[in-house]
Amino acid sequence: MLASFVRGAPVEWLLDPGADPWNKARGEKLVLAATPLALQPTALVRNAWASRSYGAVGAVQVSALHNGEVLAFRLQWSDPSENRDPEDNSAFPDAAAVAFPVTPGAPLVTMGAPGAPINAWYWRADSDTQGRQVVAEGIGSSRTPDLSLVHTHGIWKGGDWSVVIARALRVEGAEPFVQLTPGAVTEYAVAVWEGSNGERGGIKSFSVGWRALELAPLA
Amino acid sequence: MSKRQLAMVFDLNKCLGCQTCTIACKRLWTREEGMDYMWWATVNTMPGRGTPRDWEQSGGGFRDGEAQPGKLPSRKDFGEAWQFNHDEVFFGGKGESAHLKVVGEEPDWGPNWDEDQGAGEYPNAYYFYLPRICNHCTHPACLEACPRKAIVKREEDGIVLIDEDRCRGYRFCMEACPYKKIYFNHVKKVSQKCIFCFPRVEQGVAPACARQCPGRVRFVGYLDDQNGPIWKLVEKWKVAIPLHPEFGTEPNVYYVPPIAPPRFDADGNVDETKPRIPDEYLVSLFGPKVLDSLQILKAEMEKTRAGQKSELLDTLIAYEWKTMFGGLDRDPATIEWKKG
Repeated sequence: MLASFVRGAPVEWLLDPGADPWNKARGEKLVLAATPLALQPTALVRNAWASRSYGAVGAVQVSALHNGEVLAFRLQWSDPSENRDPEDNSAFPDAAAVAFPVTPGAPLVTMGAPGAPINAWYWRADSDTQGRQVVAEGIGSSRTPDLSLVHTHGIWKGGDWSVVIARALRVEGAEPFVQLTPGAVTEYAVAVWEGSNGERGGIKSFSVGWRALELAPLA
Repeated sequence: MSKRQLAMVFDLNKCLGCQTCTIACKRLWTREEGMDYMWWATVNTMPGRGTPRDWEQSGGGFRDGEAQPGKLPSRKDFGEAWQFNHDEVFFGGKGESAHLKVVGEEPDWGPNWDEDQGAGEYPNAYYFYLPRICNHCTHPACLEACPRKAIVKREEDGIVLIDEDRCRGYRFCMEACPYKKIYFNHVKKVSQKCIFCFPRVEQGVAPACARQCPGRVRFVGYLDDQNGPIWKLVEKWKVAIPLHPEFGTEPNVYYVPPIAPPRFDADGNVDETKPRIPDEYLVSLFGPKVLDSLQILKAEMEKTRAGQKSELLDTLIAYEWKTMFGGLDRDPATIEWKKG
């Protein structure tokens, strides 16, 4: 997928899933599948979901734009229920994330591996504009070292989510955050959690493998 | 397993259901936002549906060592924090005409809804109070369920704590806990539960529920402290036993089971042949060891009736209040507490 370069586009535009530039972005449709049950990190999760179906969101339409400083993804998928604030204990919010291998070849299905981290940019509907950066080096190792650098916003309308997740191409810090360069090719992956189905943590649907992502040069 | 384990013993023969423990905990720990419906310490009437409603039938724990799926009790099952017309009654000038009542939807359940109902028929009706906190289990289902490793069991005292910085509100712990002693904070979006008053314990002060108990019900201490009451009641005398041991989590709260008064027969005479609280019911709560425990208690009571001394009964009576806390008997008023 090509992340088109939109010269001078303010971040506010990029964060508006309905803004003009998004209509011109060439995207791709990703088929999602449930994460493997055997790889869930705890026995309770494996046993509780052994006879329950998850990975309810089976496909997501993705496009990406950058303005030379910020890369934004727009994820769109069909979801009959808008799950934002969980009002009761058994209710969970919808969520989505875009992931990158920080070390080339970091495995996606195991959320990275020791010494081969992955970096995810995460949106959750109950804290719509509070994006997170997650770092993981293997199943069950994910942590959230950053709450300020990822910008997110989701709009649910007529049975569809349209969610934008954005971050500066390059960020400071000692954490294994992905650093991106216009003109370069990297890889990305997507995960979606269907709140109404109790999906959270490792219980989600994901793009199974990494996908190529080319950041258009600054031309 | 932790190096040492703090534990509590609740003597059900002394609990009068006054809820002082409940309020002591509430005042100290669950007054912040999102905590209004939380009662880390509860006291329910048994037989009864408990808090949260029907928690004993809600799954979780382990069977044959295997983690069992469990339910997520609803806020209503725990009991919502009702809003009252305080302004109208106390400040609206209608003190003599308006009555205190719940504002909004009429509640049909609460954290102590079936108080004092119990079971059985007059004149052989029966009930007892069951105080509960987090059991700070040796094999904590919550800790093992959490995919984020947000729950820790402290090496030095076995207290089980949720790290709110790591918790992402997935509530797998709540599903896994068979005692349903974990609450979800809908404002902070994290799970929260009894912390065994660890900031007090670290200063040598017993947990608030224990120290405030007017009935001297709650013993505190390390399981391996042979000078403390816990070791005596659990290990030496074997009268204090865990609730629902079949849940497989090895709780560290132990109960001295209740001895009910005798039954009356059809003619109104005392009938000592059958206990008023059916053995089967106590076995369903505490497992078959409850019968041994009751036998030991009765034998020791006989001894004292015969004029002999009983270390067990002396311990349970707790003549010296401070001996109940296994050395955690420092007066909290002598400490300058700072909010961390």
